[in-house]
Amino acid sequence: MFVSSYRVTKFAFQNFWRNFWLSVITISMLVMTLMTVNILLVLNVVTQQAIELVEDKVEVSVYFQEYVEQETVDQAVSYLRGLSQVRDVETITAEEAYDQFVARHANDEEIMASLQELGENPFGPTLVVKAHDAADFEIILDALENPQFRDDIRDKDFSDYEQIVERIRSTTDRIQAFGVALSVIFLLIAILIVFNTVRIGIFIHREEIGIMRLVGASNWFIKAPFYLEMILMSSIALAITLIMLFPALAALEPQFGVYFGTQSAGLMEYFTQHGLVIFGLEFMGLVLVSIFSTILAMRRFLRV
Amino acid sequence: MIRFKNVSKIYPPNVVGVEGISLHIRPGEFVSIVGKSGTGKSTLAKLLFAEERPTRGSIEIGGWDITNIHDRDVPLLRRQIGVVFQDFKLLPMKTVYENIAFALQVAGERPHRIREVVPAVLKIVNLEPMIDRYPRQLSGGEQQRVAIGRALVHSPKVLVADEPTGNLDTVTTREIIDLLKKINEFGTTVALVTHDREVVNALKKRVITLEDGKISSDIEEGRYKL
Repeated sequence: MFVSSYRVTKFAFQNFWRNFWLSVITISMLVMTLMTVNILLVLNVVTQQAIELVEDKVEVSVYFQEYVEQETVDQAVSYLRGLSQVRDVETITAEEAYDQFVARHANDEEIMASLQELGENPFGPTLVVKAHDAADFEIILDALENPQFRDDIRDKDFSDYEQIVERIRSTTDRIQAFGVALSVIFLLIAILIVFNTVRIGIFIHREEIGIMRLVGASNWFIKAPFYLEMILMSSIALAITLIMLFPALAALEPQFGVYFGTQSAGLMEYFTQHGLVIFGLEFMGLVLVSIFSTILAMRRFLRV
Repeated sequence: MIRFKNVSKIYPPNVVGVEGISLHIRPGEFVSIVGKSGTGKSTLAKLLFAEERPTRGSIEIGGWDITNIHDRDVPLLRRQIGVVFQDFKLLPMKTVYENIAFALQVAGERPHRIREVVPAVLKIVNLEPMIDRYPRQLSGGEQQRVAIGRALVHSPKVLVADEPTGNLDTVTTREIIDLLKKINEFGTTVALVTHDREVVNALKKRVITLEDGKISSDIEEGRYKL
């Protein structure tokens, strides 16, 4: 068994070298497929980061009427905190709102004069509500339509953030859909190229295969080098992808970091932490696809 | 050793390869299968090493019914039947030694066994001085001897030679036939498919004659009659 495995391996390597340029084309296609899949993953991480960043800044300001008692405000706070979608609720009293306004417009004489003219605090209490997810704001806003508070609330301010998150989501969803379509196209091309590689391999080795059959080589012995060759190509494709991917990530990371205002976009961390699973699955997927094409080609062209 | 019972091979749509063949070849026999082109000689040979399956009838080799032999068992059969063809079927990029060793390598034989068997076979086919030569550096007769050597490495019980002298001159033909006789003397059953009258007549062995896919005569110490 060991001797046969060694010979099968030797034949697989021979096939690889004898059709070197064909092997190069096949590997290139496999690399392109893997790269597309990994670009999709990068996009996923970056999108997630962007959404988290925006979501972290997103908050709903709930402005109460100036006559509303603190007790009602406290009840609203308790009510909101009871919602699973709410991450945090901050209360700004009418006085704090007034002080903040004054501090913000201290240099604007016109505004300050208008405020003086009013003679009283025109601000009511305000609640600043943060959610776990941007999608939760709709639920929170709906919850504030509760008759208990509806009439006490003067205004709710959210719309800008919602649009930003929506825009990020729709853009990335579109890019991802395009990426998935591209991956599928590359995958189909890879299947065709692997199929063709095996077909040409069988054609080139038809004499040798014929003699193998004649002198009693087992079917396994004849077929195994083709499978092994595809596993070899998948391994090389994965290695090339890793060699290309990690420097690219290292180069991209600071760029995204600047954009997000953080030290790291978490790309390298993501791929290092989940590398074994990601690349393990990618390798298995590639091997399965290659073997599937090899089986198709052998069924069609190899008579053993 | 070899038993055909009412064997027919019909190729689609309705081309007769052989029809109603019944014969028995005893162990150690040397049998010539003769006939004009297209009379089914090669079909008969292909049925012997399971390159073709019969449409009707049954085939037994050494007590093994190979009529409907499973694909996975064909390699086992091929290791018990040596086959030689008119066009030698040697690998041009391999030396004489490597061509012969190849048959053992693909069957999973260990290197030390290959190192034992190949020189012994080279001695039988008298190619010891040429082990490092490539097929293109050999004459037709020498190439056929390599092919015979390769067919012998598994010590087959049966050697099927399908027109082995078809590409050779008279002197070389005689050498190859002498080699086949020598192999037969070692106890291997030889089935020689040929249309070479002189070869058959010189052999003075059993001759089975095919005509239109059927056996027209089967004579011990026969002659080429067509």
